[in-house]
Amino acid sequence: MRNRWNRKCIICMLPGILGTLVFFVIPYIRMLYYSVIDNQYRRNFTGLSNYIKTIKNSYFILALKNSLLLILAGVTVLVIFSVVLSLFLYFGNINGRSAFILPMLLPTAAISVIWREIFKDAVTALPVYLLFWWKNTGICIILLTASFAAMDKEVFEAAAVDGVGSIRKHIYITIPMNIPVIIFTTLLSIVNSFRIFKESCLFYSSNYPPDCSYTLQYYMNNHFYKLDYQVLSSAAVLLSVFIILIIIFCFKLQKKYQF
Amino acid sequence: MACKKEKLYYKTSKLSFIFIKGIINVIAIIFILPVLLTVIKSAGHYRELLFDCFIFYPMFWNSLFYATVITIIQMAVIIPCAFGLSNGKFRGRKFIFFIYVILMMMPFQVTMLPNYIGLRELGILNTRTGIILPMVFSPFGLVVMHQYMKKINTSVIEAVRLETNSVITVIWKGVVPQVKTCIMAVFLFTFAECYNMLEQPMLFLKEDNLKTLPVFISQADKYEGGVLFPAAVIYMIPVFLLYLSLGKNLEGRTGAGNL
Repeated sequence: MRNRWNRKCIICMLPGILGTLVFFVIPYIRMLYYSVIDNQYRRNFTGLSNYIKTIKNSYFILALKNSLLLILAGVTVLVIFSVVLSLFLYFGNINGRSAFILPMLLPTAAISVIWREIFKDAVTALPVYLLFWWKNTGICIILLTASFAAMDKEVFEAAAVDGVGSIRKHIYITIPMNIPVIIFTTLLSIVNSFRIFKESCLFYSSNYPPDCSYTLQYYMNNHFYKLDYQVLSSAAVLLSVFIILIIIFCFKLQKKYQF
Repeated sequence: MACKKEKLYYKTSKLSFIFIKGIINVIAIIFILPVLLTVIKSAGHYRELLFDCFIFYPMFWNSLFYATVITIIQMAVIIPCAFGLSNGKFRGRKFIFFIYVILMMMPFQVTMLPNYIGLRELGILNTRTGIILPMVFSPFGLVVMHQYMKKINTSVIEAVRLETNSVITVIWKGVVPQVKTCIMAVFLFTFAECYNMLEQPMLFLKEDNLKTLPVFISQADKYEGGVLFPAAVIYMIPVFLLYLSLGKNLEGRTGAGNL
């Protein structure tokens, strides 16, 4: 009985799994293969030379530097901002979530028009950072407030009896109790910082932005246009390995702080 | 004395609370400001867009068409898939889920070459199907749905299973009513995501009449600035309406907080 049920469960999964295999997993393995050959037609095995070529490329280094800067500066600010904001929104019972959630759903293309108008003469990457914060605060707030809502409120009563003030209460109780979610929010924000390409591309409306905003995605997109699959696949493999390492690190960290 | 002190504490905290509420309202207004500005700026340009810019119509309908079709097919694929993954007991379940999480975290630039290879092998590059299929199997919805389904009441499923042998009936009667909120939330997210599509039509399509509105907006230099504002406003309306009708499902636990 149990066995037949399991078989039915597996059959339910088949369409989804099959699609994922055809469009994501199997081609990814082929991409791994592309990254170690010299050319699609000759198909000579070249080992790691594509990777070495990628790492030495000055544009790749520039792109990597900008992407890392976005992770360090952009994500840190975003996470701190949204933790503070959701503390106030949830515990202060303030309305106004919609204002923060809507930007996440509205199509970027529609917003980029006004962004181009406002930041016409910007020379730094600030507009892209602003767009990143504007777009991603919503998802952080949703995750954080959902986690606050699931908290056991008895701790607060105990703290109130001991005379703990409201700011200290949150610093010493709420934040430590929600560390796993904060870590997950950080992870998601890092991942979203790699997704900012669409915003950036629409803002500059070109494939060649100023140096300060040239991120890894531009590097890869431009190689796609040049049909330079070997360089593209080695860059993609490097990027995916980097992201997988971050994911594993975050999950390990999350396990450590789980209650 | 103690009573007086408590009252004082309450008073100051109330004052500071009003202050904080004011600040948060200001931030909320800043978040909404770009949308308002777009609407204000669009006034007076509608005639130019609607009567002179005919490429706008097919692109707008394409955006809507892709988003609607992808979201509906995706629901039909991921609900059984998430059900199988969270209810079946077989080996490799955790591994499959882990693969989905990693795929969810990958930026488009990593999956674009795999997608492209998959589409090329199937011979559906430069067609509507080629845009729809890879997005149908995008892993985000599945991961969220699976997290939510893990927590549902299994006794309802067992009860329905006593009455019927068909797995579809079990899903329809035992699972879907329980995960309605999650389905609505995922529907909203997936629609917004697909509606926002830029890179896929840019890279996988050649003909203009298959492309989407973001592509139109990204080629801003081709058109006069004024035309883009009303286009942006009209572009925002469907997502905005969808948010008004489904937005309440984003409250509470949407699921993905802890993986």
